[in-house]
Amino acid sequence: MPDYKIIVFLCNWGPHAAFQHLQDQGADIPSEIKMIRIPCSGRITKALLLRSFEMGADGVMLLGCQSGTCRYGSGTRSAHGNTSETCRILDLMGIGADRLQLDNFLPDRPQVLLARLQAFVRQIYEMGHSPILPHASVRGEAPAALTPEAIVAAHDVFACQDCGKCTSACSLALAGKPYSPREIANRIIAGRADDPDVRQAVNACLTCGLCYERCPSAVNFPAFIRSMRAYYHHHRLVEAPTHGGFFQSMMRAMTAENLLPRRWRDLPAEIRTRAGAPVLFFGGCAPYFDIFFNRFLGVQTARILEDSLRLLNFFDVEPAVLENETCCGHDLLWTGDRENFLRLARRNARAFADSGAGELVTACPECYHTLAHDYPENGVPLPLTVTHIHEFLEREIDKGAVGFKPLGATVTFQDACRQSRFDGRSDLPRKLLARMTGTELLEMPESGSGAVCCGNSAWTGCDAYSKSLQVKRITSARQTGSEVILTACPKCQIHLRCAMEDAMRAEDLQLETMDLTSAIARTIYWEGS
Amino acid sequence: MQKKIVITGFGGQGVVLAGRIVGKAAAIRDGLESTLVQSYGPESRGGACSAQVTIADRQINYPYIQHPDILVAMSQAGYEKYKALLIPEGILIVDQDLVTPEAGAGGFSVPSTRFAEEMGLKMIANIIMVGFFTAITDAITLEAARQTVRESVPKGTEEKNLKAFEKGWAYGRSSLKARAKKAAGQIGAFA
Repeated sequence: MPDYKIIVFLCNWGPHAAFQHLQDQGADIPSEIKMIRIPCSGRITKALLLRSFEMGADGVMLLGCQSGTCRYGSGTRSAHGNTSETCRILDLMGIGADRLQLDNFLPDRPQVLLARLQAFVRQIYEMGHSPILPHASVRGEAPAALTPEAIVAAHDVFACQDCGKCTSACSLALAGKPYSPREIANRIIAGRADDPDVRQAVNACLTCGLCYERCPSAVNFPAFIRSMRAYYHHHRLVEAPTHGGFFQSMMRAMTAENLLPRRWRDLPAEIRTRAGAPVLFFGGCAPYFDIFFNRFLGVQTARILEDSLRLLNFFDVEPAVLENETCCGHDLLWTGDRENFLRLARRNARAFADSGAGELVTACPECYHTLAHDYPENGVPLPLTVTHIHEFLEREIDKGAVGFKPLGATVTFQDACRQSRFDGRSDLPRKLLARMTGTELLEMPESGSGAVCCGNSAWTGCDAYSKSLQVKRITSARQTGSEVILTACPKCQIHLRCAMEDAMRAEDLQLETMDLTSAIARTIYWEGS
Repeated sequence: MQKKIVITGFGGQGVVLAGRIVGKAAAIRDGLESTLVQSYGPESRGGACSAQVTIADRQINYPYIQHPDILVAMSQAGYEKYKALLIPEGILIVDQDLVTPEAGAGGFSVPSTRFAEEMGLKMIANIIMVGFFTAITDAITLEAARQTVRESVPKGTEEKNLKAFEKGWAYGRSSLKARAKKAAGQIGAFA
C-alpha cells in the first residue's frame, strides 16, 4: 500500500473522547491516520494547518466540538474560519482544498466519527499523494562563505566608521527601539554572532535600507543582515517568523515541482490575457495575502494585479499569465532560506523561458527587485527583461494622448523600500503622480529615498516597535492633510492597515489606502481630438 | 496614389528640412516619386515659410501645390495662409501650442515645440513633427523616415534627432489609438 500520511488534529474535549472510545473498542481506525490531541480546534492556526502539508501530510482533518459546546467559546468559530481560509489557499496553490477538512463531534458519536475518518482516508486515496514532497534540507558543515567572519569580509563591514548615522536613521530606532546597526556589526565583528541577543537583533532588522542610504562608508547593512540570516538558517538558529511562519511555509511548499497552482481563475471576464503573448505578467502573492488577512484587515491587494492588467489592456497589451505561477521567493531569501529561494528561482526561470515571452511586467516592487536583481546575482539569469508596471506606465503615458480625471482627493505617498532605495527609483511613482492632473501630492517630511519603512519586511521581526513605526507613519501621512495614502507595495498596504486596526486609536489612524496603480487605473483616459 | 503635402511655419523652424526629409524618404527609401518646392527669400528668414512636397507612385508633372491633401502648420501665420486651400477631406496637423485652428477644423495636434524644449533642444521641433506626420499620415514608411532623418541631420546630432523623431512618432501612434478607442467607446481602463 502506498505510504499515505493523514493528520487528524483532535480537540481534547469532545472528539477525542469519541476517538478514545474507538481505540478502546479496537475499532478499525485507518492506519494512515496520525492523531494529534490538541486543547481546542480553534488553537490550530492557518500556519499549523499549512505546515502539516509542508511537512508531508497528504490530508489533514481538524476535529472540533459541536458549535455551541466549545469550552473556549469561540474555538469552533475560529476553527471554521482558519480551515476555510486555508482551504482557499490550498486550492489556489494547487494542493487541493479537499485535502483539508473540518468536522465537529461530541463523545457520543464514535461510530459516526469512524465512518467519517474512513471516508476521508478513501477520499485522500482517490486524490493521490499531495504534490508537496518534504525535502530534507542540506545542512551540516557550513560553506566557507557562510561563516560570520567570511560574511563580514564579503560585505566589507570593517569599513564601518562607527559614526552612528545608521542608528540615527534607522526606522526601528526612530520608533524608540534600542536598536543600533553599527552595534550589531561591531558585535559580529567581535565574534559574538551566536549570542542570542545578536541573533534577535539580526532577525528584527527591517532591511529597509535607510542605514545603507546614510552610511558614509557604503556598508550594505541589509545585504549583510541577509547573509547573517542565511548563516543562522543553516545552523537552525532563525527566529520565529511572523504569522506562525505561514508565508514561509507557503513559499517552501511552492518549490514542489509537480505543484500546479490555479492562479488566475478569478480574473474579471473583461480582463484580456493571451497565452503565448510576448509580454508576461507576474502577479506575486497578493491573492494569498487577501485570503489570509480577509477577516481582520479586509485588504484587497489582488486589485493591484487586476488594475495592472486593466492598464496593460488599456495600452493594448494582452499579456500572458502563468496559471502555475509561484512566489518569486523574496521572503525566503530575506529570511535566510537561500536553498528554497533558489529552488523557486530555478522553477520560475524555467516557466518564464517556456512561456516564450521577451518581457515580464510585475506590479510588486519586491517581485521586481528579486526577479531583476537577486535572481541573476544568485546565479539564475532570466531569459527576458523585467519591467515594473510603473516603468511601463511612464513609457506609455509619455507617448501622449492620455489624460487623467481628478482622483477627487489629496494624496500622500508611501515609498516602497525595494523601489525607492534598493532600485533607486523613487522618481518613478512621482513622475506618474505629476502626470495625474488634478491629483495633488502632499509629501510627508520623510519621502523618496529617505522614506521611513512601513514597519515590516519578509514577514519577520514584527513587534511593538513595528507597530509604533506604522502609527507614526500614518500620523505623519494624516498631518500632511491628505485624504488618501497611496502605496506601491501590497505589504505596505497590509502593514499600514494593520496599524489602523488599533482598538485604542482606531479613529485617529483612519486614512484611505490605495495602490498607485489602482489610482491610475481609475483616472486614466484617452484624450485628444 | 498621389499625396500633396504643405508644411508651413516660421522661417527658421526647419520647415524646409522637414519637407526635404519627407520627400527624400519617399523617393530614395520607399521607391516613390517626389518633388519639393521650398520657400526661399524673405519668408525663409522669419516669415510664413513653406515646403510643398508631392509624393506619388507615378510621374509627377507639376510640383506646385494649389490644394494640399495634408497641411502641416507649425505657426499661426502659416495656418492662416494655407488653411483655406486644404481639401475638405484633407488632414490638418498643427503644433498644439503655436497654432489655434478654427473651431470645428478637426485634424491632429502635437506639442512638438514643447516636447523639443523638454528634450533640451528647441530646434528639433521639426523632426518631432516629421515623426508625428509619419505616424498619422502613412505617406512614408517608418523605416524610410527614420533612415532619412539619420542621413539628413548634422553629423553628431543623429541620436538626438532620432530620439525626437521617435517621440513624435510615438505621440502620433498614441493619438491614433486614442481616436480609435474613443470611437469604440473605450475611454478609460475601466470603460
